[in-house]
Amino acid sequence: MDAVTYPDAKVIRFITENMIPLRIAFDAQPLSTDFNIKWTPALITLDVDGKEHHRTVGFLAPEELIPSLLLGMGKSYFETDRFDKALGSLEKLLEEYPESDSAPEALYLRGVCRYKSTHDPKPLKEAYDQLNAAHPSSEWTKRAYPYRLL
Amino acid sequence: MADNIKWETDMDAAMALARAQNKPVLLDFFNPG
Repeated sequence: MDAVTYPDAKVIRFITENMIPLRIAFDAQPLSTDFNIKWTPALITLDVDGKEHHRTVGFLAPEELIPSLLLGMGKSYFETDRFDKALGSLEKLLEEYPESDSAPEALYLRGVCRYKSTHDPKPLKEAYDQLNAAHPSSEWTKRAYPYRLL
Repeated sequence: MADNIKWETDMDAAMALARAQNKPVLLDFFNPG
């Protein structure tokens, strides 16, 4: 991460503008135990109350780190019922990084956010259709499978 | 724009900044080697 991803200009800009970056050694106590750290790099998105919403373990290239962070922000907003802000992060991810590994989960979560915002089930079916078209082998397509019937 | 990431190294200080700026925290557990 230090050699490739963190020096990347887009990564620096994204993190500086959107997040508070915090680095802790993997064996620093009590945080290592509190967060159950067993391998590095472990990248965790926390909300302003310190609650965890997203975690990845292992190297991420710049073109995967930014969408992963956008997904983490989207999940943080979604899980605190801020659906408009969640949709903002997810739309940005899907617009700028549609081929990233985070895109299928973002498509799924966008459908759920739209459903939770409107109580209209149509976005769930749309999410399945979009997943099935763009990511037919994704686990998120399988998870959305029941929505095809809506 | 900064030419590198300005990492916080203290949890409490990072959380205070997060609340003040209303931003999520990227917590990176790393191996300093």
